[in-house]
Formats: sequence, C-alpha cells, structure tokens
Amino acid sequence: MIVRGNFDNTLRLVRLILRRERLSSTIWIVILTAFSIVLAPGMHEMFSDMETRTQIASIYDNPIMVAMMGPVYGLDNFTTGAMYGGMMLLWVAIAVGVMNIFLVTRHTRADEERGQSEVVRSLPVGRLANINAVMIAAVIINGVLALLIGLGLAVCGVDGMGFGGSMLYGALVGAVGLVFAAITALCCQLFASSAGATGMAMGFLGLAYMIRAAGDAQGNDLIACFSPFGLAQRAQVYVNNYVWPLLLLLVAAGVIAAVAYKLNSIRDLGQGFIAAKPGRKEAGRLLRSPLGLATRLLSKTVIIWVVVMLMLGASYGSVIGDIGTFVGDSPEYLQVIGIPAEIVNTMTEADKSKIIVDYFAAFITIMMTLVCIVPILLAATKVRAEEREGRSEHILSRVVSRPSYLAGYVAIAFVASVLIQFATATGLYLATNAMAENNPFTFGGLLTSFFAYLPAIWVLIGIAVLLVGLFPKASAAIWAVYGFVAFTSFIGGMLKLPEWVNWLSPMYHVPRLPMEDMTFVPLVVMTVIALVLTVAGFVFYQKRDMVAA
Amino acid sequence: MSELSLETVNLSKRFGKFTALNDINLKVAEGEVFGYIGPNGAGKTTTIRVLLGILQASEGTAKVFGMDAWKDAVEIHKRLAYVPGDVNLWPNLTGGEVIDLFVSLRGKHDKKRRKELLEAFDLDPSKKCRTYSKGNRQKVALVAALASDADLYILDEPTSGLDPLMEQVFQAAVLDLKKQGKGIFLSSHIMSEVEKLCDRIAIIKEGTIVETGTLDEMRHLTRMSMTIKTEAPIKGLEKVKGVYEITEHQGGTTFQVDSDAVGEVVSFIGKFGVKKLESTPPTLEDLFMRHYNTAGGA
Repeated sequence: MIVRGNFDNTLRLVRLILRRERLSSTIWIVILTAFSIVLAPGMHEMFSDMETRTQIASIYDNPIMVAMMGPVYGLDNFTTGAMYGGMMLLWVAIAVGVMNIFLVTRHTRADEERGQSEVVRSLPVGRLANINAVMIAAVIINGVLALLIGLGLAVCGVDGMGFGGSMLYGALVGAVGLVFAAITALCCQLFASSAGATGMAMGFLGLAYMIRAAGDAQGNDLIACFSPFGLAQRAQVYVNNYVWPLLLLLVAAGVIAAVAYKLNSIRDLGQGFIAAKPGRKEAGRLLRSPLGLATRLLSKTVIIWVVVMLMLGASYGSVIGDIGTFVGDSPEYLQVIGIPAEIVNTMTEADKSKIIVDYFAAFITIMMTLVCIVPILLAATKVRAEEREGRSEHILSRVVSRPSYLAGYVAIAFVASVLIQFATATGLYLATNAMAENNPFTFGGLLTSFFAYLPAIWVLIGIAVLLVGLFPKASAAIWAVYGFVAFTSFIGGMLKLPEWVNWLSPMYHVPRLPMEDMTFVPLVVMTVIALVLTVAGFVFYQKRDMVAA
Repeated sequence: MSELSLETVNLSKRFGKFTALNDINLKVAEGEVFGYIGPNGAGKTTTIRVLLGILQASEGTAKVFGMDAWKDAVEIHKRLAYVPGDVNLWPNLTGGEVIDLFVSLRGKHDKKRRKELLEAFDLDPSKKCRTYSKGNRQKVALVAALASDADLYILDEPTSGLDPLMEQVFQAAVLDLKKQGKGIFLSSHIMSEVEKLCDRIAIIKEGTIVETGTLDEMRHLTRMSMTIKTEAPIKGLEKVKGVYEITEHQGGTTFQVDSDAVGEVVSFIGKFGVKKLESTPPTLEDLFMRHYNTAGGA
C-alpha cells in the first residue's frame, strides 16, 4: 500500500546526508579517482611496448590468475587500455562496493540503532523518505565518482583509452557501486543491527567475487554474469566497449532497491525481518582463560591472513614458471628481483631461467614475509590496545598474573608467524605444482626458505613486546621499525645504502634461499636476541603501571 | 579492633609532575562497608587502581588483607572482586560469555547465583556487548563481581549508569553482602547511596583525604540547619558563637549552627519563647558541598 506522503521531505534528507558525507565520501572519491587516474599513464610507462604487454598478458592468462582477476580481453591488440581494463576494473569495483556498503548502512540501520531515525520520523517526513534519500545520495555520490574517473581517464588519453571507453569504465564502476548500495539497503531491512546488515552485505560482496571466480575459472560467461563484477568485466572495456552490461547493472540495482523499498514500507522502525540471533548465553570452555580470550580476539584476524596469504602465494606461484620470459631481457627487472650485476653479465643462456626463477622465488619470499609481519605485529601489540581500551584491568583485577596475561597474546603472535609463513609456502607450492610440468621447487625447499625468515620475524615480535613493556604509550613505534625493515628489504639494495644500515634490519641476516646456502648461525643468534627482547618486555610489563588511553 | 582488610599509609601517586594522590591514609576493617566519596578527578579511581596493583604507589604503602597491593596482587585478587567505574567490554562477545570469563578467572563458578543475579538485574546474557548501553555493561561487571565469592568487594561508582530501580537491586545486594560479613569499598558520588549503605566514610578532594569517620562522627564537625519561630523577636543571635547565615522569612528564622554549639544556641533562644523549632542533621550532600566549596560557606 502506498500511503500519500510516503516520500515527503526526501530532498531535505538528501541534503542532510550529503552534508554528513562531505568528509568521508569525499575522501573515498578523491582516493579512488586519484588511484584510477594515476595508474593509467603509470602502467603505460611501465609497459610501453605492445610486446611486453602481450607477454605479461600471456603470463597471467592462466586459470589461476583468471579466476583471481577475471578474463583477459583483446589479446590480439593488447593496448594499455585493454590491460588497464582487465587488471583494474575488478579491484576498483570491489573498493566502490565496500564504500557503498558503509555509506548505506551508515544512514539507515546505524541511524536507526542510535535512535536518530526516530527523531527524524517524528517530523513531517515520509515513511520511505529516508531510504529514498539514501538511494538518491548514493546515485549522486556514485555518479560523481563515475564522472570523475571517466573524465580523468579520458583526459589522460593513454594508448587505447578513448573518451567513450573511459566514460564506460567510470560508469561501470559507479553502476557496480549502485548495485551494492541497493543490496545493502535490502540487507538493512532484513537485519535489525547495523553490524548484521554490514556483515551480510559484505558476505554478498564476497559471494559476488566467488561466483565470478567460479565462472571465469571454467570459462563460463553466464555464471560469471550473475556477479556484478563478472558482468562489469563482460563490457570488455577499452576493447569492445559493450554497453549492455552497464544497462543490466543499473536494472539490477533498480529491482533490488524496489524490493528494499517495499520491505521498508511494511516493517516497524527498529525491527528487521530476520530476528537477531541470540548469542551464546554462557562462555564455552575455551574462552574461560586469558589465553582463551586472546585466542578469541585474534583468531579471526589470523585465519583471514592465512587464507589471504595462501591465495597470494598461489597467485605468485602461478606466474613464477613463466617469469624468465617476462623479465629475461630487462636488466632493470633483474636488478629489482635482486640479481647482482656480475651474475647478470656472466650467466649463460642455459642456466639463465633457473637463476631467474631462484632469485624471483627469493624475492617474493621476502616480499610476502613483509606482508605476513603485519598481522603478527598486530597480534603482538594487541595487549596494548586492550590496555588502552581499559579492558586489561578486568582481567588483571582477577586472579591472573601479568606474565600469564601477556603470554597469551605473545604466544599467538609466535604461533601465527609459523602458520602464516606455512600458508604462504603452501599456496606457492600448490600453484607451481599445478602450473608447471616439472615443478622447479620442492615443498620442503620452499618451506625452508620461508621458515628461515621466522627468527627475523621473532626479533620484530621481541621489539614489539619490549615496546609494550617499556614504552606503552609509544608502542606504535613498532610500525616505524617495520617501515624501516620493509624499506631496506625493498629497495635497500638498489639505493646503495651504507652496508651498516641494511645490517640493522633482521631480514638482512637471513640466507637468501635457494641461491645461498643455509647458514644456521645468524638464525640461532636472532632467535636468542628475539627471546632476550621478549623476556625483557615481560620483565618491564610486570613492573609498570597500566595506562589507559 | 578487628583485622584490617585494607590499609594505606601515606600513600602517594604521581604521574610525572602531577600528584594524583597525596598522603592517603585509609583503614578499612574486615566486614566494614566503607564509602569513598569525591568528585570526578579527585583520585578515587587512582586509589582503587593502586589497591588493585594496576598502578604502583610512588610513596607509602597500600595493603590489602595485610599483603602488599603491588607485589602480591594475584594472591590478593583471589579474595577480592572489583567493578570498574567505566566498564568497557569486548564488542563481539556476549554478556554471558564475559560474565563466565570473569568468574572463571577467579576460580569457583556458582551457576545458581549467576542465574539469580541475571534475573535480579534483568540482564539478557545472549546479547553482544556492542549492543549494551552503559548501564547494561555495568550490570555485566556487577553480576560477574557479585557472582564471585570474595571477602572484599571494591566497587567504583557502580551505579552511575543504572536506573533507580536497578540502584535498589544493587543496594539490596550490597546489604546482603554486608549481612554475610563481607567487606565493601564503595566509591561513589551518589550521597543517598553512601548514607544508606556505609559504616564509615572518607572524603577525598584533589588527591587528599579531607575527612574520615562514621557519618555520626562527621556530624559533630559540621553544622546543622535550624529554623525557629519565637514569640519575641530574636535579637543578638548573630553574636552567638557558632551561628552562621541567618535569614529571616515568613516561617521564622533559619540559620546554620555548628554541632558543638547547639546547646548554647538552644539556651539562648529559650529566652525569646520558642513557638517552633525544626532542625535537620546535615546530609552527606551538605558535608560534601562544604568541602567542595572552597569558599567554605553554606
């Protein structure tokens, strides 16, 4: 039933929403636009000739990469535009999806939860005015984003990126955003809590990615088209510039939004169609100890990172076999992956590909280890975050000694370091095994090269624990330490930094497997240093005041 | 005198140059309900944190059950339950999970008591903590503390987020503990609560204890309010020692009088033929206001 005045005062609410969005949405738009525009000429500069681009495309035109990134179009005339459209659209679309999920929940369920909607609804405002206003605001915000990206790319005028294609690219990004705005509006009708609605919408985003991945992996366009991402990629932007996927996306957004409007009109304020599932009334056995609590607080993060690193490992693994053909003739690339000039000059054609594969493996081992360190340091400093939030005192005012409390978090950091390195090595191995007929690596070999970095990671954990114990208010300094380690590992070699600067980083002392021989002395020394730092952290933690905020 | 459950001697706590606590001397006997009152920022929570071994005393000593609050914290906590003033919980755990976690960190688990308390405080344990209001988070901490079998309960403004009905439930629970002979250290700025529950009181102001004693003892030191009506107009009242703030109004004359000057005042006004005499003992509110008005009036 449509009640007269259902939409009263929508426009005022649109203005209110845009006013409230002037910071967060502006930031999203600026970052996404800048990222999209800067990368176009950047990509062209990096891969300026057709031959290099086609080579890269053929490297990543394998089932694993296609499942991850989507199909490669326009191989016969692989312009920078074709490359850009194939590599960028998916990731930008995912980011825009996330932006819309937050945008819509913020102004629907979150407002309802805080009781703000009640105040608004008590004014002469239509029942559907708010959801209508949110959708209109979403159209405006996604429209501005689409326009800016489209115009920006068109202005850049990079090879193969014409005006029409660029505008289509921007429009596709905006349209995927609107689909997720509509999906989120629907989720917000179903769930009574904003956390539940956000979770479900994020679930749909993940599902959309998986459906596309499943369809693309089998080369089944129809399945992939059931995902907004797959559909957007079918526009073959900068290759064929089909418009029908754009129209389908907009229709889908409209239909889903209509269902959301309908549900919104028949439900009570503050209610959802899916009753909030009551949580556990009692704690399980595992939760009833300090270690159990730490595990509960950190397990999700660790599991997510294990999965992500498994996938990242697999994606590198799928291209590593072809890497020789890609970087083989470019001295710059050979230097980036760390092959010393004298080896580049003296290596014979015969062992060239083996050398390149080995160095590349060593290179991605460092890179991925650097990524792995992030969640591990988050776990190691979690105890300080708990203290800052005033939650440590609940535990420490009970029969729990400080060392046993701290030990829970530190233990998880150490265990996570092993798990995540293991996951990365496994992903890398499985993908190389699936791709190449004779796998250049053995599982044991890969695991050894990843585990060789564990003592270096442990030194960083030790520094983190020491900071938590000694300088709680400055424990964020661990990220400066991490920045230094990442910086020196990344470009320390190329920048010709003084040797002692590189020497300060624990990563420097790890043998570069598989080219170098395994040397245990530095690993043992670093393990001892890590232990000493950690123990010192415990001692200071025992001695200091707990400081909230 | 019975044994002390809690004692501080010249306890001081400094954060850098800022002195949060200055020579605090407190003695709480076993089984006593002790009120600790003062405005925000006076040092109530800091005192409690030192007693819990979360902060270390800069000078002086803090002892609980005769043990050092800092060194023997874990041993002390076996016999102590605590409710913080600002209860911050883990948003993704349910209230029930948090209560169980807290209770099991002390050891014994009394399911029946837990259920009674959940019902008394009308708390739904199946909800995630992120959905709880301040009052409900406080209930979680209260249920966890009250469900524990302790000898001393340290409660830091435990009712600041509770509605009046729940305040009564809380007061009943505290009186129940008192009957069982449990010690309670209650920091508060709700005067009626402290007056109703506490045997002895300390008032803290800017990190210094300005008054300690039973409510009766403090009344000796303070003024009561009198309203009188006499047949003959009163003259010379302002010259009587210990009388302040005389106001004339329709109902007669109202003034403040020092507790130890009451006898003198009564014999003085007797001369004028007293028709009506009302006197009210000072409430804690008055005591409090007196100490916090640096001007010293009222």
